[in-house]
Amino acid sequence: MKKHEEEEKVYEEGARSYPEALNGGGSPVDSGSDYEDYSDDGDSEDYGSWEEDAESGEEGATGSGSDQDESEDGNSEEFELSEETQSGESDSQEHKGSVKTNNKGKLSNDHAQIDDGESEISESDRRAEESDSSEDEVPSRNTIGDVPLEWYRDEGHIGYDVKGKKIKKKERQDKLDAFLASADDSKNWRKIHDEYNDEVVELTKDETRLIRRLLKGKAPHSGFDPYPDYVDFFKWDDAKHPLSNAPEPKRRFIPSKWEAKKVAKYVRALREGLIKLDKPKEEPRFYNLWGDDPNSKDRAGHLAYIPAPKPKLPGHEESYNPSLEYIPTQEEINSYQLMYEEDRPKFIPRRYTSLKSVPAYENAVNDSFERCMDLYMSYRAWKKRLNIDPESLKPKLPSRKDLKPYPVTCYLEYRGHEGAVVSISTEASGQWIASGSADGTVRIWEVETGRCRGVWTIGEPVLCVSWNPLSELPILAIAAGQDVLLINTGMGNEEDQEKIKELLQVEISGTAGDSDEQPLVSWLQDDRHKHEAIILRHFKTVTSVEWHRKGDYLSTVTPAGESRAILIHQLSKKITQKIPFKLHGLPVSSVFHPSRSIFFVSTKKNIRVYDLLKHKLIKKLETGLREVSSIAIHPQGDNVIVGSREGKLCWFDMDLSSQPYKTLQCHSKDITNVAFHRSYPLFASCSDDCTAYVFHGMVYSDFNQNPLIVPLEILRGHVNSNGRGVLDCKFHPRQPWLFTAGADSVVRLYCH
Amino acid sequence: MPKHYRPPGKKKEGNVAKYVTRSQAVKLLQVNLSTFRRLCILKGVFPREPKKKVKGNHHTYYHLKDIMFVKHDPLLEKFREMRTYDKKLKKAVAKKNKDLYERLRTRKPTYTLDRLILERYPKFADALRDLDDCLSMVHLFAALPALERENIEVKRIHNCRKLSHEWQAYIARTHKLRKVFISVKGIYYQAEVEGQKITWLTPHALQQVLPDDVDYNVMLTFLEFYETLVAFVNFKLYHSISVKYPPILDPQLEALAEELYALSRYLDANTRSSRPSGSNQVESQENEKQHDESDLRLAQLQHQLPHNEPGALMHLVEDAAGEDEEDEDTKECENLFKDMKFFLGREVPRESLLFVIPAFGGIVSWERDGAPFREADQSITHQIVDRPTQGHIFLSREYVQPQWIYDCVNARIILPTEGYLVGRVPPPHLSPFVDNEAEGYVPDYAETIKHLQAAASNEVLPMPGTVKEDLEDPQRLLVEGIIDRAEANEAAEKKRKMATLEKQYHDELKLELEGAQYSSSMINQNMESNAASGEAREKPVPDLQQIADDSANMSKIVMSRKKRRLLEAMEIGKKRKQANVDLLKERKKKSEAGQSSKEK
Repeated sequence: MKKHEEEEKVYEEGARSYPEALNGGGSPVDSGSDYEDYSDDGDSEDYGSWEEDAESGEEGATGSGSDQDESEDGNSEEFELSEETQSGESDSQEHKGSVKTNNKGKLSNDHAQIDDGESEISESDRRAEESDSSEDEVPSRNTIGDVPLEWYRDEGHIGYDVKGKKIKKKERQDKLDAFLASADDSKNWRKIHDEYNDEVVELTKDETRLIRRLLKGKAPHSGFDPYPDYVDFFKWDDAKHPLSNAPEPKRRFIPSKWEAKKVAKYVRALREGLIKLDKPKEEPRFYNLWGDDPNSKDRAGHLAYIPAPKPKLPGHEESYNPSLEYIPTQEEINSYQLMYEEDRPKFIPRRYTSLKSVPAYENAVNDSFERCMDLYMSYRAWKKRLNIDPESLKPKLPSRKDLKPYPVTCYLEYRGHEGAVVSISTEASGQWIASGSADGTVRIWEVETGRCRGVWTIGEPVLCVSWNPLSELPILAIAAGQDVLLINTGMGNEEDQEKIKELLQVEISGTAGDSDEQPLVSWLQDDRHKHEAIILRHFKTVTSVEWHRKGDYLSTVTPAGESRAILIHQLSKKITQKIPFKLHGLPVSSVFHPSRSIFFVSTKKNIRVYDLLKHKLIKKLETGLREVSSIAIHPQGDNVIVGSREGKLCWFDMDLSSQPYKTLQCHSKDITNVAFHRSYPLFASCSDDCTAYVFHGMVYSDFNQNPLIVPLEILRGHVNSNGRGVLDCKFHPRQPWLFTAGADSVVRLYCH
Repeated sequence: MPKHYRPPGKKKEGNVAKYVTRSQAVKLLQVNLSTFRRLCILKGVFPREPKKKVKGNHHTYYHLKDIMFVKHDPLLEKFREMRTYDKKLKKAVAKKNKDLYERLRTRKPTYTLDRLILERYPKFADALRDLDDCLSMVHLFAALPALERENIEVKRIHNCRKLSHEWQAYIARTHKLRKVFISVKGIYYQAEVEGQKITWLTPHALQQVLPDDVDYNVMLTFLEFYETLVAFVNFKLYHSISVKYPPILDPQLEALAEELYALSRYLDANTRSSRPSGSNQVESQENEKQHDESDLRLAQLQHQLPHNEPGALMHLVEDAAGEDEEDEDTKECENLFKDMKFFLGREVPRESLLFVIPAFGGIVSWERDGAPFREADQSITHQIVDRPTQGHIFLSREYVQPQWIYDCVNARIILPTEGYLVGRVPPPHLSPFVDNEAEGYVPDYAETIKHLQAAASNEVLPMPGTVKEDLEDPQRLLVEGIIDRAEANEAAEKKRKMATLEKQYHDELKLELEGAQYSSSMINQNMESNAASGEAREKPVPDLQQIADDSANMSKIVMSRKKRRLLEAMEIGKKRKQANVDLLKERKKKSEAGQSSKEK
């Protein structure tokens, strides 16, 4: 109680002592520091710790305890608290007569919690008030010392009294009681549980007032004036002597040079217009930029401006309510996950049944940004968009009807072979065809009836058959294995037969060649067959046989024969000679020119054309194909077609260039053979994909006109066997008919 | 290197001399990369692809001329000035030179983009052509929240909003809107201004999210240019209908966030007042109206428009006199919703409908302060509602979902409202931008709409036809004097004959075509019958498909490789398209099957 009064005094002293202090030479600020000190102690340091206490409830004690530096202080203050309440009460007696005793037993912790907002502040404020009155220490009830209260949480006491007896904790009020108490007693909110001393403190009215003032940010006591009028302690007017007798310095009464300089600078700047004092005029920002003239100037002198392509317009699927068929099923959506990321659809349609339920599009900004990036980061170029009808790409071909006749349908099938029919050949008169098969037989068929006229068993798989082009010499050349058989087919009249028999006689002695040299080919008489026959025995397998148009020479190709790969045999003299040219690459086939003494040799890549009389290379045709399989010469001899294993067909115009005039990609598999018709403007190719193509190939006598090539018909009918389809095709010498030999051991005749 | 500064030993021509990489360009311009970007965006400079990329594939190449074009722009100097200004300001702050700071702050260097716009778009039509992106962006930003962190200022958002409203008001006033499409991404509008089709996208009026993985600096630079462009375009357009720009809005409506309505009123008022009076209106009415209008205008200019009965005022200025220069399309659009009065519920997208309905000649109100008329108005014909049930129903009007409006607009006819009534799931909303025939798949509802359109036009069409004939006959009467009935009969006979001949010819042609296709097979059959000589004939008759394929293949064989590849590519494209269509058809079939099974 005394203490408090003392304090009050101090306040008053502080207030009054300003002038004195100032008179004493201190500044008003100094005197203020007294007050600051006072507030500092309580407010800044302790307040924080106390706040913590209240918040942490029961454990709060540790907070206060943990302030190590003011360990003693804390203790003493706690004690003061209870003391002070009393003093405060006694102080406030003048206002209200009633003094309330602290009903310590009744109050509880819970109650404190209920109005802890109030209590926390009030307590801390009270502390603030008393913080520097630490001299008068009223011993607190609690004697445990400066240890965290938590340590005593489970104990029944809070220290020992002088006699060494335990100071017991009070019974706790439960929540219900607390509530009831608060309901019963309207003053109950004033009661605060002091955790440390384990007692209930009731705030007096004065104290609450104090707290309220503090809350408002005012000084705690109403009597205190924080802003007193300033009273100057120094008075010059009445003084007799000046403070200083020094003469006035010059700078006091002459104008400043630097200022003048600065002013001059500003003036110059103003004159020059560097500093403008008036505000810049507001001009209308927008005006008729383009004017009303519709044909104003063009953008000139720059590169051509390429406008950005407009963004894609949305389709039905982007609708908020698309028709049901635009919405993918769940399985489809799942299957998108299996796709590559770039293939995945970027937008999955969804359906909302009302416009209200459409959510905000989450990628709106991203999309806009992407568009911006596209606009200034990506290349722009004019691209020609082909907006053409695919039909217009197709070349205008003459109608197929006008190009008739040509083989169209299968008219006859010649059956009898047991293996794949590898090669066929038509007789010069067109009455007969011969077919050689992989089963080692050669058959002769009557074309019109399909009757098999004769069968020779060769023994080895036949690779090539070829009729002598002269009709009076019906000799058949058969290539099988290493042998080439020249067989008298026994056709033709008596005279012819005699002639043939004469031709097909080989003297044993005339086995050709000199004794010291290995003969190129051995000419042997064959006795196995009932007809006369000659065997030309090669040293490697012969793959193809071709007759010269006069029927006396024939050429054979043995691909593995190296320097003896291509041989030319003369039937009448029974001579064999090598061709006097070097071959580049493996030979595939060789053909005689239909009218001149020119010889075509095809290797895998190129075709070489030789003049046999002059012994000279005339031309080299560069096919550009991977592997040539067959070659045929136009009956006029200026055009060559070449079939390749990649299914391409090349047409060469010999007069034009050594490059193909036209390359037709028609077959999907190897072309096995190509053929020209002798009189009709037709040619054909057959392939392992079981089809044969018939083309119209018109060659004009006019040099300015390029050959006309029109595909006419695709002939089907053969069946694939062992991956092979049609193995050979030959035209009928007079009719526009085509024979095809298939790997399915059938020979077919296609007629118009 | 520019031509005038080419060190010895550098190339004079070719790709090396013509194209520079981006880093080279930045070095050449002596700016930093971000400034370079800004310059490129504002100047509209884009990379160009050289035939040969000299420095490698991973560089961006600019044409040297483009870069020199940027270099000679005053904007470059301006940017440098701004940089130095920033430095000065910083220094003033650092030196605590408050005076200087204050003075500098008022002298911030600014630049304008009008010269750039004129340079990039020398003609107004050019500007309109490139307006798509501008409008989409401006509309997007009008819906975005301001974000201090990304420098998206409130001022700019408001400006965007203003610009978009001005644009919409112009379009609605002049009835230039052609198509509207509600997609998941937002609402697409297509207008036709001066022959240019302008399509823009407005986001749905919902809270937009601002993603983090976006460089807002780039977008804001674009927006800066777009804002200016749209403002100038708006100026020109407003100018063309003789309305002052920028418009002065009724502050009360502005406060209620009804800028669009305010704008439309402003436009109406202005165009009406500026139009010369001289139509067939009653004079007194005219006078009264003009008086009213001048009042309105005055009030608007003084920002003190009394807020009593804006609807009546609107009605006064609403009926527009026929404009001669309007084309057929515009007239059609203008009269679509004529004599219809709409009322919008709270839950429908108001901004969009307030734009669309007046653009097609309707009158519209909504449920809020400042609306022209109230819900209880008896003259309302349609109320737009988007809720499962409607509590109180006025019998005099129809309650339809908002999609009805959009579908009507796209179909250009008043569709029956049965499918769009409250509580029903509306029929599918179809995109007006798709050419169904070209796409190869016509959705059911498109078919329905087409029928309705045909029906609607049939109602109208026969009338002019008959009228014409009627007109023609009297004309002939007048010219010839005598009705030569025999001659007329003869002519009719001739015509009929010609028709029959033509028909015959067509038939023949058709037959020929078929014959060409099937001739081979026919011959085949003939041959087959001829050659029936007891031979085994297991060979199947080649089917028609095979023949068709063959004939297609035939011509392909003779084509050059280039053309063949092209054709194949086309075929692949076609196939893909067909696959899409097939998928749609299959889905449809499935869904129909599902429905029918459910019904059972």
